[in-house]
Amino acid sequence: MESNRPRYCLGLLIMFMVVFSLGIERTANDYILAIVSFTGINIILAVSLNVTNGFAGLFSLGHPAFMAIGGYTTALLTFSMEKKPLFLPDLPQWLIPVHLPFFPALLVGGCFAALVAQIVGISVLRLKGHYLAVATMGFLIIVQVLLNNANSITRGPLGLNGLEEFTNVSWVAGWVVVTIYTCWKIKFSSLGRSMLAVKEDSMAANSLGVDLFYTRNFALTVGAFFAGVAGGLWGHLITAVTPGSFSLIMSFNIIVMVVVGGTGSITGSVTAAIIFTLAIECFRPLEENFGIYGVGEIVISLVLILILIFKPSGMFGTGEPKFVTGKYKQLSPTNGK
Amino acid sequence: MDFGYIAQQLANGLILGSMYALVAIGFSMIYGIVRLINFAHGDIVMIGAFTTLVLMETAGLPFPLVAFFVLLTGCGMGILIERISFRPMRGAPQVTGFIASLGISIMLQNLGILTLSAQPRNFSFPSYMQRILNLGPVSFRVVDVVIILTAFFLMVALIFLVQKTKLGIAMRATAENIDVARLMGIDINKTIMATFAIGSGLAAIAGLMWGGKFGQIDPLMGYVPGLKSFVAAVIGGVGSIPGAILGAFILGLSEVLFVGLLPPIYSSYRDAFVFGVLIIILIAMPNGLLGKDIGDKA
Amino acid sequence: MKKCFITIGLFFMSLPLATPCFSAEPIKIGALYSLTGGMSSIDTPSLRGAELAVKIINKNGGLLDGRMIELISVDAKTDQKAAAIGAKKLLSNGVIAGIGHSDPSFVLPSAPLFQKKGIPFVTSGATLPTLPMMIGDCLFMVPFGDDDQSFAIADYSFKSLGVKNVAIWTDNSMDFTKTLSKFYKQRMTELGAKIVLEDFFMMGDKDFSAQIARLKNVSPQPDAVFISSIPNEAGLTTKQLRENGLTLPIVSGDGFDTELIVTVPGKELANDVYFSTHTYRADPRPEVIQFIADYEKEYGVPPENAFAPLGYDAIALIADAITRAGSATPKALKESLAKTMGFKAVTGEISYTRPSRVPVKGVSIISVKKGEYNVEEIWFPTTK
Repeated sequence: MESNRPRYCLGLLIMFMVVFSLGIERTANDYILAIVSFTGINIILAVSLNVTNGFAGLFSLGHPAFMAIGGYTTALLTFSMEKKPLFLPDLPQWLIPVHLPFFPALLVGGCFAALVAQIVGISVLRLKGHYLAVATMGFLIIVQVLLNNANSITRGPLGLNGLEEFTNVSWVAGWVVVTIYTCWKIKFSSLGRSMLAVKEDSMAANSLGVDLFYTRNFALTVGAFFAGVAGGLWGHLITAVTPGSFSLIMSFNIIVMVVVGGTGSITGSVTAAIIFTLAIECFRPLEENFGIYGVGEIVISLVLILILIFKPSGMFGTGEPKFVTGKYKQLSPTNGK
Repeated sequence: MDFGYIAQQLANGLILGSMYALVAIGFSMIYGIVRLINFAHGDIVMIGAFTTLVLMETAGLPFPLVAFFVLLTGCGMGILIERISFRPMRGAPQVTGFIASLGISIMLQNLGILTLSAQPRNFSFPSYMQRILNLGPVSFRVVDVVIILTAFFLMVALIFLVQKTKLGIAMRATAENIDVARLMGIDINKTIMATFAIGSGLAAIAGLMWGGKFGQIDPLMGYVPGLKSFVAAVIGGVGSIPGAILGAFILGLSEVLFVGLLPPIYSSYRDAFVFGVLIIILIAMPNGLLGKDIGDKA
Repeated sequence: MKKCFITIGLFFMSLPLATPCFSAEPIKIGALYSLTGGMSSIDTPSLRGAELAVKIINKNGGLLDGRMIELISVDAKTDQKAAAIGAKKLLSNGVIAGIGHSDPSFVLPSAPLFQKKGIPFVTSGATLPTLPMMIGDCLFMVPFGDDDQSFAIADYSFKSLGVKNVAIWTDNSMDFTKTLSKFYKQRMTELGAKIVLEDFFMMGDKDFSAQIARLKNVSPQPDAVFISSIPNEAGLTTKQLRENGLTLPIVSGDGFDTELIVTVPGKELANDVYFSTHTYRADPRPEVIQFIADYEKEYGVPPENAFAPLGYDAIALIADAITRAGSATPKALKESLAKTMGFKAVTGEISYTRPSRVPVKGVSIISVKKGEYNVEEIWFPTTK
């Protein structure tokens, strides 16, 4: 690296997160805290999908599926032992005594999602473009159907509820930092450059010795791990998980954040995630005072279309803005195809 | 399970498939020529259905005139959407257009809820369309026959349009290479606008048929047809119109046969099964059933 | 760009400050309904009913010597996340009670937040009988439980329609419909009827031809088909069954309580349909007639479905409890709600006397013959 600026930025980010989360947890009310936590979870989701979609160019619609896997796994692992017989009477014998504290449960959830991503990757990653989009969408729907029907473990469409409210702003802030740091490191490692090369021109990358399959699978797996963790955080924030929550609509929302921020730009994903989560809340008073529900969505989609018209490659393009990278030159072309 | 039962289920699958095909043709046309996954396509279906409702219930126009106006409304919406949002984005990465179409779709849905209310409405076709016909053990309705015939007529007409007419040649050239097409003197803007107009007009007609077949419409009804036509078009192969029809029939048949031929308890696994089959088809044929290799563009 | 967003954001955030002030401190009640997305066709009428109740109470001088009710409505967007955020928003606004939701999957993320703060939450439409047990003593239900409505229609179909063999269709994508079928099956088996076929579909399905073909081929032929669905599929299933020449009785629960079962198939085909529902439709009680007249006057259309009176009742129930308690603190309200006895709601009398705290309410059995709705009987649960 030519500049130390990214390191300073990371330091600043960590300091900011510590001060911010400690400060806000003392001062703000529950509503603000919930919005802040969801913003953080959306940042994790957008940044991690950016590894899959932005770096490696895999058009995946399956992100919520990994969230669901992580969310259900974490929820089952932390489910309170007293409530289990009452809430989940049909739980398989071997699952009854299994119990973990929150942090290890999150990790297990993330790893399980990553493991599933490996298996899925083996089968669908040879597909390209829109074909991959349909295949990952199919994967999402299959996961939803299985969750809907595995009554003894997931309670079907009702989902699991009564989870402990473990997630708070500090937990989310911590994971946001970890996600941004990891994805940043990946982007500027040789592996990250291979990913960008695969995205730009897979044949050329292959002829230069990049293992296409390994690179793509890695990108999918990293994305899935963080999606799984985000699912765990999500479940323990609203204290319930149902199959219906992890829907195609959620997948669209995350993709919108990635594209508006700039496919491939971590700064962009973070900014877009913040703007979109807050914008929806900002429209609530207007909708509630005038009884015109849905106006927020209409205005936001209009703004989205305007952004795409005037800045089709997103707010930050593929790169990171100068104030984060310093004089360091972008290796990737600023406008990917 | 006797022969009559299986025949009836096959017929049901074909009818459902032709319903999907009707929506998928327009989708696939836009997809093939502009390489745009247009998620707002399903919402044009919704607009077509509501236009029909307004024209038939309040204006009381005769049926062929209604169909004509619905077609016009669809064309108009297509041109409007293309002009306002997709034309300025031309040349951007493909996913940009996809996201923009999602934005349009969300906008149309919420506008629909705001102005039309979310309540489903009944939608009644003239009674001669509802009559039941029997062919041996198989029974179906006049409207089903109309849908199948319309789907095939539109397919033939579109293939003729794309293969034989001047506009069609311009469309294919644009799909092949937009810059070269421009150098050859093709008016790209007009060609793409025509594509959107035709595709969206077909979607509006599909909305009319959809409402007529199921008898109930609401502002969120476009989601399912939009999604199914996307899947059908991809299975058939990017931009291949016969492929889209084939994909739609495979989708419709597999949905019905899975529910109809297996024990009922598996019915709730239907979507998982259908998408499982689709993934297997795609893995075996990575460019769809009738598609060409599109190279590395994504 | 960012500046622009912030400006817009600040502008809208400052809007609520501009709401008018009342002389006496208003009583704040929160409403959580999904006004956009898939649930909006069910939830919007509930909110309109609730708003109507508030308007009428305020016009008559409010509660507790002139305190007005202020209904703060938040959109749950058919999304669990929005339901949870919305609940937190209401709670930080200082509401003394919450109402809302017509499906347990949205009650589950929001009601526990009310429970944690000791603030009562009255669900106007969720009928899962285990809800009060899962959430705690702050949850109150306006409707009956799914067990009651299933038992009611099961008793009716066995005793009055003489159904001995029955086919059951279930929407397998919702908890409500699955629970309804489970209780129906349980009661019919107890009564000695035989379930000859169980078939499933998913919410959003439009085409039931595969299920219909199977129903036609099952032997012995069923005397009736029980369809467990929400209103969106009610008209579609009726239409398609009748068009395919099946004339057997169709029985169902309150998901069938909608005009769609007549308008979609047409009056001729909407025949021999029976469903159990909230005592409201075609009911001659004065509360009901008054409610329908008020609703039509306010909105220009008759109530869209049974969820409109349920929303109305949720507010009326709270208002009654506040009046009885003589105080508008959450704690007093909770205690007084729990003691509700024989409250005359539009959808029937409500008493919380069972240990499960599911209200003991009458269930209407309604028949539809050639498009005409008629109340056949009012069923009462035997376990008081």
